[in-house]
Amino acid sequence: MHEQSLFASVPVHQHHELLQQLAGLTAMQPRHCLERRLIFKAYRKPGLAGRTGASQDLQQGDLQRLNKMLNGNMYYTQVIGPVSELDFGSTAPVDHDTQMAGMDDSKPSGSPSPSSYDYERQPWKLEFRDIPEAGTRSAVTSRLMSSATLPRGDVVQAMNAWGYHFTTEYVVEGDMFIHNDIAIFLHRVLHYPGDESSLPRRQLPALKDMTLFEKSGSYVLQAFIIVQDGSNQETMKTASQHLFGLREQLKSAVLLEQADRLSLDTRAK
Amino acid sequence: MPITGVYFIPSNPNASTALQIITERLRAAFPDEELTPIGRWGLEQKLLRDTPGLLPASSNSNKKPPNPRYMQFLSLTHYPTHGFIYTSEPEKQTPAPNQNQGAQGPINAIAPDHSPSPPMVMTTIPPSSYGTLFQHFTYACQPFWTHRLTLAVPNGIVYEVGDFRVRLGDVRQTFPTARVRGTVVEIEWRGPSVVEAIPMDREDGSFGVGDGSSVDAEAAGIHLASSAIEESDIDAEYAATASLIREFWGRLGVEAREAILIPNVGMEVKDRLRRWKKAGSGVDTVDTRVDNAGSMIGERADEDPDPWSGADVARQFMEVLRFNR
Repeated sequence: MHEQSLFASVPVHQHHELLQQLAGLTAMQPRHCLERRLIFKAYRKPGLAGRTGASQDLQQGDLQRLNKMLNGNMYYTQVIGPVSELDFGSTAPVDHDTQMAGMDDSKPSGSPSPSSYDYERQPWKLEFRDIPEAGTRSAVTSRLMSSATLPRGDVVQAMNAWGYHFTTEYVVEGDMFIHNDIAIFLHRVLHYPGDESSLPRRQLPALKDMTLFEKSGSYVLQAFIIVQDGSNQETMKTASQHLFGLREQLKSAVLLEQADRLSLDTRAK
Repeated sequence: MPITGVYFIPSNPNASTALQIITERLRAAFPDEELTPIGRWGLEQKLLRDTPGLLPASSNSNKKPPNPRYMQFLSLTHYPTHGFIYTSEPEKQTPAPNQNQGAQGPINAIAPDHSPSPPMVMTTIPPSSYGTLFQHFTYACQPFWTHRLTLAVPNGIVYEVGDFRVRLGDVRQTFPTARVRGTVVEIEWRGPSVVEAIPMDREDGSFGVGDGSSVDAEAAGIHLASSAIEESDIDAEYAATASLIREFWGRLGVEAREAILIPNVGMEVKDRLRRWKKAGSGVDTVDTRVDNAGSMIGERADEDPDPWSGADVARQFMEVLRFNR
């Protein structure tokens, strides 16, 4: 699959107005969404790459192929899970065992806490984005992508086994619109307060305690189309033309443009 | 999740398939049973191995070859709602060796050769994501995973023999080269079982009666409260059923590689029992929260009613089909 996108920076004072413009253009109410985004980094045992130089038992062709493979790119990848506003600042689900054992009947036990965030039931998707293609004639950001549903709950054990280390996490808040075949996502990045954690958080802090990544509070507008078959030049071309069409329609409000390729580099060094 | 056993008969120069023999022996051993196929089944397995295994063992290096790590993708037509991924756990991360402590221990320290292969992590994912993830690993993880072989049972046969369901099929290797590998047999116990009495947990984490799960329990003929089953009962049940399956297989008199009580078998059943006991001990676990965020990326269509069904038989298939490559 390929993702073709155009981006724009939206200052915070323009946010409200742009939401209304987009609602008018797409004839739909914005769909508000919050996402947890976990960043994982691929790893391999150090000292493996380049070691093949000394082996004499391999055919020259095999050796080249092997070297190419072992020195291939490794990537950062994201694991994304939808959350709701109620999940923030809420407690973990009450463990009945400890509650029973505690014999603490002073407070009315009939009323469960208003909401709870259960990490064990959090759905996740593995979202991979390659570095944007270089030297394309088209003026859109085009990159190879894949999206796969993962099991609910703790993904770290499986990700570790697959070769990925948890690095850090953040939250994205934004609004999604759909306009024909184009998805429009107006969003910004929130950081967790306090220290970095070495594992994904099992509870989320209150939303008001999250800090803005971009201090001014500005938003990013991403308009994108996902093309199933990226090798089909015709559909790729149609997709970028549709994006250019949207760029024209929004010209008076925002300037949609291609992103700097290296700023979207997902390769792990 | 029924209790099963899997047998594999490798092909040899004299006989590429044992299908004929097993069918004949089944007929001979169970003369009272009408041996007509009740259905078809299929399987596909892709085996990936970590890249250190690709390097030739160089004679002048003292390093002991690392334990190979595997990632196996398996799909079974009798568990259509998900595919299985079974992956070796990474070796325990040792703290980075301090460079200054130059003296690197006694050189002749004999590395334990019998070190067991690392434990495995089971994951199940919806069919739509199964191929995507495989592609991801072969594209983005080339430096550490490499696709070594693909096996398929394209056209298996299902028989019902008494309290057992028997799935037979020829295993063909389709990658890297096409060849015949042998014959695989799954034997599933269909009789009453304590394991089937544990209800399935629902989407919201509660344990329901009245939906599909209770039908299973009735079919199994066992009604038990969560307090009446302990984990030791599960172990005993697996052991007892394993001996039934072995007895069944013994009547056929065919030599084969066996996978029944392999590591981690029954793990998901015990997890489910634990969750059931926990849910049963509380007053209620009804979660009224509206999952409105779910619609954004977690498509409802992907929701799997029982993500862990078939994990045991998947492990057994993978155990016998993990050829040393």
